[in-house]
Amino acid sequence: MLLELHNIFKWVTQGGKRIFLLSDINLQVEEGEFISIMGPSGSGKSTLLNVIGMLDGFQEGEYNFLGESVHAMKEKNRSKLYKEYIGFVFQAYHLIDELTVYENIETPLLYKNIKSSERKALVADMLDRFNIVGKKDLFPSQLSGGQQQLVGVARALIAKPKLILADEPTGNLNSKQSEEIMQLFKELNQEGVTIIQATHSETNAAYGSRVLHLLDGRRDHK
Amino acid sequence: MIRNYFKIALRNLWKDRTFTALNVIGLTAAFGVAFLLSMYALFELSFDQFHKNVDSIYQVYTTEQIPKGVELSEANPIPFAGALRDEVPGVHKITRYVTGGPLITYKDKTLRVGSAWADPEFFEIFSFPVLEGNTNNPIERSTVALTEDTAKLIFGNENPIGKLISIKRDGEVVPVTVAAILKNLPEASSLRFGAIFNFMDLPNSFYKDKKDRWDAHNHPVYMQLAAGTSIESFEKATRPFSTLHFADEIATAKRDGAKPNAEGQFRQIHLLPFGNVSFTNFDTAELIVNKSLQYVILGIALLILFIASVNFINMSIAKGAQRLREIGMRKTLGAGKAQLFFQFWGESVLVFVISVALGALLSFSMLDMFQTLFRTNASFGLIVSPVLIFGAVVSLLLITFIAGGYPAVLMSKLGTLKALKGKLEVSGRNRVRNVLIVVQFGIAILLISGTLVLRGQLDYMRNKDLGFNKEQVIAFPLSSKKDHAQLMQLMRDELSGHPNIISMSASDNILGLGRDGSSSTSVMGFDYKGREVSTNLLFVDYDYPETLDITLVKGRSFDRRYASDSLSIVINESMAREFGEKDPLSIRFTLDDSIQYAVIGVVKDFNFQTMDKSIEPISFFMNSDKPLYQAYVKVAPGNLTQSYDIVKTAWNKIEPDAEFLGSFLDENIDRTLQKERMMTTMISSASILAILLSCIGLFAISLLVVSQRQKEIGIRKVVGASVSTITILLTKDFLKLVGIAFLITTPVAWYTTSQWLQNYVYRMDLTIWVFLAAGAIALVIAVLTISFRTIQAALKNPVESLKTE
Repeated sequence: MLLELHNIFKWVTQGGKRIFLLSDINLQVEEGEFISIMGPSGSGKSTLLNVIGMLDGFQEGEYNFLGESVHAMKEKNRSKLYKEYIGFVFQAYHLIDELTVYENIETPLLYKNIKSSERKALVADMLDRFNIVGKKDLFPSQLSGGQQQLVGVARALIAKPKLILADEPTGNLNSKQSEEIMQLFKELNQEGVTIIQATHSETNAAYGSRVLHLLDGRRDHK
Repeated sequence: MIRNYFKIALRNLWKDRTFTALNVIGLTAAFGVAFLLSMYALFELSFDQFHKNVDSIYQVYTTEQIPKGVELSEANPIPFAGALRDEVPGVHKITRYVTGGPLITYKDKTLRVGSAWADPEFFEIFSFPVLEGNTNNPIERSTVALTEDTAKLIFGNENPIGKLISIKRDGEVVPVTVAAILKNLPEASSLRFGAIFNFMDLPNSFYKDKKDRWDAHNHPVYMQLAAGTSIESFEKATRPFSTLHFADEIATAKRDGAKPNAEGQFRQIHLLPFGNVSFTNFDTAELIVNKSLQYVILGIALLILFIASVNFINMSIAKGAQRLREIGMRKTLGAGKAQLFFQFWGESVLVFVISVALGALLSFSMLDMFQTLFRTNASFGLIVSPVLIFGAVVSLLLITFIAGGYPAVLMSKLGTLKALKGKLEVSGRNRVRNVLIVVQFGIAILLISGTLVLRGQLDYMRNKDLGFNKEQVIAFPLSSKKDHAQLMQLMRDELSGHPNIISMSASDNILGLGRDGSSSTSVMGFDYKGREVSTNLLFVDYDYPETLDITLVKGRSFDRRYASDSLSIVINESMAREFGEKDPLSIRFTLDDSIQYAVIGVVKDFNFQTMDKSIEPISFFMNSDKPLYQAYVKVAPGNLTQSYDIVKTAWNKIEPDAEFLGSFLDENIDRTLQKERMMTTMISSASILAILLSCIGLFAISLLVVSQRQKEIGIRKVVGASVSTITILLTKDFLKLVGIAFLITTPVAWYTTSQWLQNYVYRMDLTIWVFLAAGAIALVIAVLTISFRTIQAALKNPVESLKTE
């Protein structure tokens, strides 16, 4: 078992009323799964991913990650945990504009205090694998959207995470680029990386081994 | 990691070139000026600190109770120092000291050398190392010790030790042997001389004639206190000494109705720590050690640094809003708070390091200009010391830590998701920014008010009617080996009949400060009808009031037709009040036991001293035996330069060996205002810099605010707002801050400036208009700065600003 959510509730209070962003979410994820979360805009897909990625908190429920209780953890330990095991891929890529492709990919390693020689080797492997060696000195603004997202995935993978969280990873891409990225995810999954993606697209969702439907913050079991 | 940070920092700085440039320019200017100002202040504060014994050296001074209150005196009689050592325990070493400018002749070379006379213990008390010659006692009788520079001036490359030079003393030429060469005196020494002689080699009129007299006070005394003696106990121990040796003075004081001081004494000897001597004014009733100018300058340096740092903080915070996504991203990639802090702090450090380096360069390149402008010899080399370097490094680190650290802390504390979404809670942060802007403008307004008041007072003092004609009168020192009376006669003959020359006179003292930089006061007290009156003394030539246009209110001036005028005096109105007679022309009094003098005229009060003093009593004597040192020539109005040249030509014809050092009296008055002028220049430049820096900050903030509110501006325009309403909307917030700064600062500015003006008996009127003007200047400059950008934003096509979303 990689992670487990028990009766998660998350809400905000507006005008004295609780508005539920997530309510009563239960989910078990085994290592090696490829889960797609689907649902209309505002159904809570991103919120759920943020909760799983420990970027966001919740009010009620339990969250265990690799047997540790995330809900009872201090901020510092939490960030240690996700730094170690989780990689993020965003719809808007979120590359750092001031850094080159090489440096963007290298950044997570810097925060894990990995030695320079080892860093070089890891980044070189990654560039090789994604066929972007020739672009390593370019800045994000000099790349196409698909290439940027490729860098985004490479950056998420560099720290060898167990879990990749992808929030609409192809939302800003055309269909050909989308397919490439999804194909890449599939390969990664076959290599043993657990992936949870949020998506609008049935086609993309079909890459997953399991689909989770959300509506207004609840699991939709129809 | 560090290399990575460094690289990102450089790229970020380059990306925001405008802000980086504004920051670096502002900080460089601030550091450059702060370095110069603090160097100057520290140099002044380091005066006399180089003496090894500085903590145990004291100047001896006396407070005397007089009927009008208390009088301070640093002058002592000749037997005083020796007697003090013999009779009062606690004197470790003691020396008399006096300065003068004798003519020194070597072979065919004659020159005037600033000299001192002291007792041999002088060299044991003070640290003036002897380089060559008699290291034991460099000033035995009939020998002299020269500084390196003076020796070079007299002897060139010859070895001076053992050579004979001659000086003129008591009308005779006396040979003196050069016994020692001293290391050049440190710039930060308040004792200054090129040659130093034995005290007993002073002219007879100064030394021998007064050797046993306790009533002739003519020199300061310095002493070293024995270890284990406190100042208080020593001062107390001198009381019987004063009572014994100054019995006559004390009796006179009692008779005239002086009140004893709190300890029941009429005369008290005090010790002034030697380190404070250069900050001390003996002209006041109470001894004031005043280091405030130096601290004000240090304070200004700090204020300027503060303003520049505030700019930096405000810009960094505002700029941080544009980097939120980066912060969020780094956090999801696993960056900890500390790592983010060091990244942002590192960028600040980089800016500061560049600015400090450029600032140091700037201050070095401006050093010459600074030295000329403020007439100082201060330079970095003179004040450098390990402690100082350490202090400077620590304070620079501290400034960097605070100014760079605060925004870094703010940014590293942001929540990950909020940062990723680019949301920023602005309210709290804006408050800090607003407070900082208020403080910044407060400082600017304070400095502008200071500038206006200083300039006002300076103008007032320059233009005040001093009671004599300062525009048309040329004064020059009669510095010549010739007899002064003879010289005057020659000048009179040469210039008389010339249409530009109206009249001519001379006196033994100068008005203002001449080009030779000399000035002196002489005061005399005598008994009149059973009480003591005191007056300033001035020995004058014929036509003195006429030449200077000093108005005669009663009686007549000195006249060549009356032979008895050498026993007549002309007094001013203050002196007439001092005598207290209804008809001042009836006053007769006796001086030196037998000679009777008569008052023949009264002149209107005129400011013969600086304007921080009220007009004191003065009496003009005319005694042809007294040497007159200063000549005055009144010239016709119009074409003053030509008249000056006429006088100069005449002088050069009569005395070709000596330089003509004439100047108009208004220039002399200006010279006495040097301190005020320097303060004005310093504070004006500081306030210009302060307002410039504040504007750079305001400009940067307005750039950012406008870019943050671009969408709002677009929407407002779409729904029908005009350019002017939008400009006002954007400008209003800032103007409020300037207004608050004005309200807070004005009372402070009023208080400080009015306190400063208290130093002057003759001072400008302080009105609210000065402060309103300062506020208005700040406001106008602020509006101009902001509207530059806001109008531009308001004019923009709303379609463009809305498209950016």
